[in-house]
Amino acid sequence: MKILFFLIFIIFNTSNVSASEVNIFSSRHYESDTDLYKKFTDKTGIKVNVISGKDNALHKRIVDEGKDCLGDLYFTADAGKLGSFELQGLFQKGANSEFIKKNIPQNFRSDYWIGIAKRARVIYYNPTKTNPPKNLKYEDLSKEIFKSKIAIRQSNNIYNQSLVASIIEHNGPNETQEWIKGFVKNFARPPKGNDRAQILAVAAGEAEYAIANTYYLALMLSGKKGEEQKNAAKKVIPYFPNQKDRGTHMNISGAGILKYAPNKQNAIKLLEFLLTKESQTHIVNNTFEYPIIKGVEPNKLIAQFGTNFKQDLNTNVSVYSKRQSEALKIMTEAGWK
Amino acid sequence: MYKNFNFWFAGSLLVSLFVAIPLFTVFLSFFNSTSEYYDLLRNTFLKNYIINSFIILIGVLSLTFIFGVLSAYFVSFYNFPGVNFFKWALILSFAVPAYIYAYSLTAFFENYGTLFSLITFIFGEGNYNKFIPKFDGIFGAIISMSFSLFGYVYVLTRASFYHQSHNLIEVSKNLGYNAKESFFKIILPSARPAIIAGLSLVAMECLADFGTVSFFSVSTLTTGIYNSWLSFDDLNTANQLSFVLLLLILTLFYIENYSRGDAKYHQPTQGFRKIPKIDMVGKKAQLVSILCFLLFFISFIFPTAQMIFWTIKFPKYFDLTNILLLNLNTLTLVIFTSIVLISFSFLINFGNRISKSKILNYLSFFSISGYAIPGVILAVAFITFFSWFSDFFSSFFSTTSIKKIFIGSILGLIMAYFIRFYSLAFNGIRSSYIKINQSIDESSYLLGYTKFRTLRKIHYPYLKNSIYLVSILIAIEIIKELPITLILRPFNFETFATKAYANASQDLLEAAALPSLFIIFWSALLIFYTSKHILSEK
Repeated sequence: MKILFFLIFIIFNTSNVSASEVNIFSSRHYESDTDLYKKFTDKTGIKVNVISGKDNALHKRIVDEGKDCLGDLYFTADAGKLGSFELQGLFQKGANSEFIKKNIPQNFRSDYWIGIAKRARVIYYNPTKTNPPKNLKYEDLSKEIFKSKIAIRQSNNIYNQSLVASIIEHNGPNETQEWIKGFVKNFARPPKGNDRAQILAVAAGEAEYAIANTYYLALMLSGKKGEEQKNAAKKVIPYFPNQKDRGTHMNISGAGILKYAPNKQNAIKLLEFLLTKESQTHIVNNTFEYPIIKGVEPNKLIAQFGTNFKQDLNTNVSVYSKRQSEALKIMTEAGWK
Repeated sequence: MYKNFNFWFAGSLLVSLFVAIPLFTVFLSFFNSTSEYYDLLRNTFLKNYIINSFIILIGVLSLTFIFGVLSAYFVSFYNFPGVNFFKWALILSFAVPAYIYAYSLTAFFENYGTLFSLITFIFGEGNYNKFIPKFDGIFGAIISMSFSLFGYVYVLTRASFYHQSHNLIEVSKNLGYNAKESFFKIILPSARPAIIAGLSLVAMECLADFGTVSFFSVSTLTTGIYNSWLSFDDLNTANQLSFVLLLLILTLFYIENYSRGDAKYHQPTQGFRKIPKIDMVGKKAQLVSILCFLLFFISFIFPTAQMIFWTIKFPKYFDLTNILLLNLNTLTLVIFTSIVLISFSFLINFGNRISKSKILNYLSFFSISGYAIPGVILAVAFITFFSWFSDFFSSFFSTTSIKKIFIGSILGLIMAYFIRFYSLAFNGIRSSYIKINQSIDESSYLLGYTKFRTLRKIHYPYLKNSIYLVSILIAIEIIKELPITLILRPFNFETFATKAYANASQDLLEAAALPSLFIIFWSALLIFYTSKHILSEK
């Protein structure tokens, strides 16, 4: 009988609700984030509970659960997603301390969400084989000289949708449409694989240029993917496009406080903790993203390629959400698989 | 009698309705407006989704047909070196979920992947990447699914061969056929119902797959439903796609049931006698041995070895306390779900039997819907339904919200698993139940046994074996299950599958190796234990 009670207890014990906790819904799956949360708990006594999952499914769960949703924070690795959460009224204001306003560039935050770390979507090439033209822009990649030279992943990838969204924002839909038509003709192979696979395609000589996020190269250089990939990654360097122009396309990992957060104050504390020098150093050394605050150096594996490149600081990253489906439409219509 | 009928009828109806919740939820959202996404979808995507789904379906069906039927043929009719080993070793492929197969396939063949390392290790530095074949995209998805699903065809075809072997060989000898002729003219046609049944199961799994195709970023009907429903809040499109998908799956289910009926019809009820197999000698025997070994190697040893290789190469991802916890979590889910599923399936089967109602048999048709709907869609429909139900309940009774009882709890997970695997449990028990002759029940009543006593003393001992088998099948399914667990689990609750997924999605397949290995290990162990049942019955 005792066992029966114990079993029933396990089943109905939905969550150990303690007085001091904060609940995260996350589509950012870094194991290293867990260590960071441990540090936070040690410091503040606030327990951090996490559910990680696919972006869309978590989104749906938050909407359906409505005011009964136990989540306090929503973490994701695409600014477009943060923007659409804001548009749908799923976030509330809260993370807007003076520190935040002073330290996070305006385009990487809104009243409803903030960036936690940055990543740049750049062009990779093999310097022993390729000599890229000077002052290269994303816009140039549709030119004849790049014919059958570029590796990039599929159009259903959110990073690509955000990149094209930012280009639509700057050049307008018509010009972007023309650009994509030329760009697709320059693909070295049908789009496939993840970002790392594009970089490896350049290393292996399958393509001359690849478009991928910055941290993937560092991941390989770190040896976490084994010796061969480390050596392969050494053959390739990143090129930061649009330096004489608006700057390189940036995206963020970020978070917002959910509208019905039961532990709003703890959520704010956690967000502020993630913006401390200590946390930012931890993040950049584990995920190889760029720090969101000033005064912290990126990991040396990524810093070696320069930290002073011009970032696109004029585009508010939340416009990605408004332009993503338009971007997808243009991409698929141009035959970008 | 009348009273009993009502009770059992109500019970059966309730369970059937419960299991059909996701089906209703997706279809009842018909009255929503179409978004802009629909036009886009209609113009470009819809066709692509359907084409991709079909290419994958045809590819997987062809490969599983070849692998499954050929291996079953050799193992059933011939003696060659290792035949007794291959007989059960080939079903170990069930232990490797297609998404884990996909991880191995990608990692092994990618530029600078494991194969590259191997060649470099043996032959020294060189530019080998161009010579290494690449398995990705649709092709990769087809390969991954084929090697992890061909077991269905193998098991069912082999069972059919096994029961018919005597007559067939005799007949073909009398007709003066050689081996090739007798295979195509006699053996293959006679096993057709079993082959079709196996292929339909493969097709259902293939259409419902989410993990593999999303890993290879191939858009199919299933990912289309997921995206149109979730990213674009476009229920109309989601419903239309679901409709196409369900229609396909229901057709397959019908074919499968129909073929199984045929298969039973052909089974000899008496006079079955095992005949000695034909001895193969020389090069032929070696060739067949090698073929079977290759199939076993590629389907089971290859993905397992890749995972073992990583686990050893990257020991820093090993965390003992974590592993123990993951085992405990998995065990909890398996035990509770099995108990609930088995009890309900057993009781409803019993109810159907004593009330002898035809309607109840039709009702159980609904029970298949959980199995037919892709897990990822089932999980989201579950959330939508229980949010609605809870809002309705709490406004009606003016109570506090009861959402968290169902969503983000172990109870909710068990309920969703129930919906998903009810068909497996119910039909598994049913297939043995119908073998108990009704006259046995009548004799038992004549002896003065009550219905309940008949259940306990007569039926249960008969069904013990199949209950045991069904529990193990449920366990294997739960150990491998990903999408439902991922979205419905409580905070901080991980299983091997969610752990592997999290690591794989941050591009650290190396760290996904150990949890994947555990999935393979536990499933293989359970399959090994039940191989006698799986191989002899169906």
